Amino acid sequence: MIAAGLPQRFKVDFDPNSQIFSLAGTIRPRSIDEIAESIHALREAINAVRGVLYIDVKRLIQINNTAFQAFIRVALDACRERSDLRLIVVTSSVVSWTTRMFRHLSTIEPQISVEVYDSMFYPGQDYFEDTSFIPILRAQTKLTWRHERTLLPRHGMRPGIAVADICCGIGDFAVLAQKEFQPSRIVALDHSKPSLAYARKVAAEFGVTGIEYTYGDASEMLLEDNQFDFVSCRHSLQVFNQPELLLKELYRIVKPGGRVYITNEKNSHCLGEPRAQSIQWTYNELARLLSSFEIDVEFGPKSRRYLADTGFDDILVESFMVTNLDGDPQDFADIIAGWEKMFADMAVRHGEAPEFIERFRQGFQDHIFAALHPKGYAGWPIWAASGRKPL
Amino acid sequence: MGASVDKTTETAFEPLLQFDMEMEDFLSDWHHCDHVSSYLARMISHNRTDPVRHSNFFSSALNELLEVSFRGGTTDGKIGLSIYRQGTTERVQLSFPCPPGQARFYREAVSKTRDSDAQARYLDAISNDLAPSRESVLLDLAVNYDARLRLDEDAAPAITLIVDLPLEGMVS
Repeated sequence: MIAAGLPQRFKVDFDPNSQIFSLAGTIRPRSIDEIAESIHALREAINAVRGVLYIDVKRLIQINNTAFQAFIRVALDACRERSDLRLIVVTSSVVSWTTRMFRHLSTIEPQISVEVYDSMFYPGQDYFEDTSFIPILRAQTKLTWRHERTLLPRHGMRPGIAVADICCGIGDFAVLAQKEFQPSRIVALDHSKPSLAYARKVAAEFGVTGIEYTYGDASEMLLEDNQFDFVSCRHSLQVFNQPELLLKELYRIVKPGGRVYITNEKNSHCLGEPRAQSIQWTYNELARLLSSFEIDVEFGPKSRRYLADTGFDDILVESFMVTNLDGDPQDFADIIAGWEKMFADMAVRHGEAPEFIERFRQGFQDHIFAALHPKGYAGWPIWAASGRKPL
Repeated sequence: MGASVDKTTETAFEPLLQFDMEMEDFLSDWHHCDHVSSYLARMISHNRTDPVRHSNFFSSALNELLEVSFRGGTTDGKIGLSIYRQGTTERVQLSFPCPPGQARFYREAVSKTRDSDAQARYLDAISNDLAPSRESVLLDLAVNYDARLRLDEDAAPAITLIVDLPLEGMVS
């Protein structure tokens, strides 16, 4: 069956302040006349700028030769007419063919250069995607899954549906979800190539097939509109500096009537006994520290507002506490030890004083002490929320 | 020698899918090119290493081929599309009826994609032409998709473009 789609599904935009002209979506016209307005807009943008114009095609999903040639004609003519003009075409490493297509422009015209956008997708990325963090991520999913496997059906997860796990990291949630719920299709997307390589390796080793792992930018996905019954995005909105952009994309790809499921933390509510005060101090400071990296680890209770602002209805919010009593307390302790290392490194890079670092570390060690204490209790609270895309 | 090599590889290609449509119906709506390429690309990419990106890349190439048949085809007969796979390469076999005399044009255009100056020809075309010719579209496939193209004229007046696309290695 061939789904009837919109004839032209693209967007053209010019931001005169940053001198960025952007093309997004699918542009496959039969003739140049169909995109005459957009061609005119590029011409106008070039006329409006001094010096450099960025032509942003990071979100360009498809462009046929008719449109490609029409746009580059304008760019090449402008360079021939104006020696002061420089055009920088910004492509994405996700859409590999755009780079191959646009790279020729710099050969034809020295005033045009092509840059591939593939480095930082969010400010704290290099910390969270360090491969040494992989064992911690695995331990985290192991403990959260004990809770999530029972609450997921309340948020719309059920067998036989199409599922997308966005910001899948090392892909362990996708594997668990596939085993437990047998979706008809499951796509797992992340922007970390090492994490995806790890995910594919683990899936192959365990004989897990059918998970479509894909490299992509969660705020600019190649996935088509209205494709999935259930879209999950776990522990990720809190680390993106623009969570509303990401939510907009999740909203776009879920089917009307389908649900988007998000989990996030409120780290200042991490707790433990004994040594409660030291633990509390460290996690309060952690929230403050991470906010300077544009990471909001207090996001959890804000989930309802963000989902509502994006346009979801039938919003369901609940919270659960991962504790040292969820199986082996050593698993919980290992997670905290991983956090101590990573967050102390961040504090050092942030320029915190040695006395601060020492006290900061102590709180994590006290949390581990509480987790392993025979009569102790240690907790890590998580907010799970979902909203339905209106029909 | 070329023919015998092609025959050997032919047998090694595994069929993935086949699609037929009355040419008159196909030519009734330009957006068939977009819809068919997107839909078939998703179907054949599901078991590639990165199915979403492979599908996007493959759709891009297939759409150009379908647009060539849309612009150059006639209403009598059927458009036939078969997709095969061998390792990291997909083979697209696209048959469509075209006006008498057009076979020669395609023969020459396909031949140019294999010439050593294919890239120079392509750059010249995109530097100077206002709109792409069918020849430059075929050059685009050779230059930007590393495609290898052949032409089969056995079923005249229909022609068959045979295009090998090694996209899996380029995506992953």
